Order: sequence, then structure tokens, then C-alpha cells
Amino acid sequence: MDDDILTTLKILIIGESGVGKSSLLLRFTDDLFDPQLSATIGVDFKVKTLNVEGNKTKLAIWDTAGQERFRTLTPSYYRGAQGAILVYDVSSRETFAKLDNWLNELETFANKPDIVKMLVANKIDKPNREVTKEEGLKFARKHSMLFIEASAKTKEGVEIAFEELVEKILQTPGLWENRSTGLNVTNTSSPNQNGNCGYC
Amino acid sequence: MTECTEAYNLSELVSETNTNLKKVKCLRCDSFILQPNSGLFTKLEMSLSIPALRQKKSIVTGDSIEYELLQNFWIVNDAFTFENIGFTNTVDNKKYLICADCEIGPLGVQNLDNPNEFYLSIDRVKHVN
Repeated sequence: MDDDILTTLKILIIGESGVGKSSLLLRFTDDLFDPQLSATIGVDFKVKTLNVEGNKTKLAIWDTAGQERFRTLTPSYYRGAQGAILVYDVSSRETFAKLDNWLNELETFANKPDIVKMLVANKIDKPNREVTKEEGLKFARKHSMLFIEASAKTKEGVEIAFEELVEKILQTPGLWENRSTGLNVTNTSSPNQNGNCGYC
Repeated sequence: MTECTEAYNLSELVSETNTNLKKVKCLRCDSFILQPNSGLFTKLEMSLSIPALRQKKSIVTGDSIEYELLQNFWIVNDAFTFENIGFTNTVDNKKYLICADCEIGPLGVQNLDNPNEFYLSIDRVKHVN
């Protein structure tokens, strides 16, 4: 195996339906391909490896896609999260107005006190903009969140945003633990909950 | 259901210790899936039946799903051993592995009866030095 992993982090992506949460994680968004099972069944979570200032970090990224239609997500979804990405669609004021609800839910259920939050103003390439950049920035400042604007065409911006979020988490003492032993294929010590993976 | 023919030479892929010699990447988008020496080679006696990557008919119209029998896998014991990987929601007590970057799949399967065994199909990824 190569270099050791510094830590593993749990990151949530939340926001209203249709704001483009899932596409933030895709390298190609306008590339049409055959109907695939992943689109039909839905994605549960993703593991991604990120190098931040020479530190190799593994992220478990949870996207609420679909579940937000049932409104309140289960508390276990929030538990243990070190970072949260809140997304709204700049061409829909309603999705911006709902951010307060999402923040409330996050503050109610997230059990890490210093969870790092980032606000993503998505779909800035759309013509009928309803929420200005200044409004987004103001909201982000008021709630001590990082802020970026994004669109399907600004993949690089999204990548940088993830790095910034992780950097901020790593700079926050007590929010993460050093995974000193690194990972290896024989490490199966993680406890299981309901027959599911241990870090859920 | 079609049997997959092996378009690769296993001796070039499997190390003396039965692990993957090369880096494993996504066939479609090159996403880095697995570091060398991270998966354990397994040739199953009972092939796994996994939905085909390319479905001839549209799944959304309710046509039946086409399957493929797969035999050769890299077994990984911890989700965090992967560099990049995605998991679908649970269907029939299974989660399918998909590419984290382009979501092509299934690339493999996790049976929740044995949650610490992730089966990554050798037929559905590429191997590079």
C-alpha cells in the first residue's frame, strides 16, 4: 500500500430536491449515457480520496437525494458528520428560503459541535436568476459558512470547494481523529450496525 | 443471460500473494478505484449474476433487467480501502458498487449478509500500471 491515510471524514450534502446536489459529485453531468441501474436504484453514499496539502483524506459522502421528499432525515444520517454542504438553486428563491430549515435540522441532529458548513449556490449558468451572489454571501457569513457559486460547468470550482471544506475540518481541533494505523485489507474491526457498514 | 469471456490474462493481473498487481480504474472515466495490493483475487466456483453494464432495453420502461454471470473478483474488506467508489441503495439485501465519478455500474456487489466483503468485478474495470 502507498502512503498512510490521515483520517476519514463524514460529509453530508443537503438541500431541497432538484437543486443539483447529486451532480456536484459527478465528473460528467451533461454526458448522456445508457439508462443505468445506479440512476434507477439511487446512490447511497460514496467514498472519495482527497489530497489536501499532502494529507491523504478519505471522505464518506452522503447525499440525501430522494429522501428529502420525506422531509426530516433520520438522526443517524447526521450523526458523526464533520462537514456539511448546503446547496440551493440560484434560479429558485424557494430553495434559498428553505436553507433555514436545513440549518435547523443540522443543528438539532449533528452531534459534533464544530461541524464545518459550506454553502453552494448552484446553477449559476441558468438565465432566470432569483438569488443574487450578495444574498448568498450574506447568509453564509451570518451562519459562519464557507461559500462558493457553482454550475455543471464549474467542476473545478466544486473540487476546490471540497478541498477547502476538508482543510477547514482538519484545522478544527477535536473534530477529527488521526487514523494512525492507516487502512489495510485485513482491517475488519469496524463494528457493524444492522448488518450495515460500521461507519454509518 | 450471457457468460462473460475473459478478455485479459489473469497472470498479468494477480500477484504472488493473490492481490491486484496494478491500479484499478474505471473503464469509462478513469476514476481511480483501487490501489495495487488492496484486493484479494477470487475465482468463484458459483458465478455471481449481476445486472449487465449496458442494458439493451430501457430499465425505466419496466422491461426485465439483463444479467451477466461473473466469476473473477477482487475482494476488498473495508469500504475505505477503495480510493473512490459509490454504493447504490439496498436492493434484495445487496448494495451494488458503482463508479464514484461517473456512476457507471454495477462494478460489483456487497451482500449485506457479509457486509465486510466487497466484490469488485475484474471484468468491469481496467488495470493500469
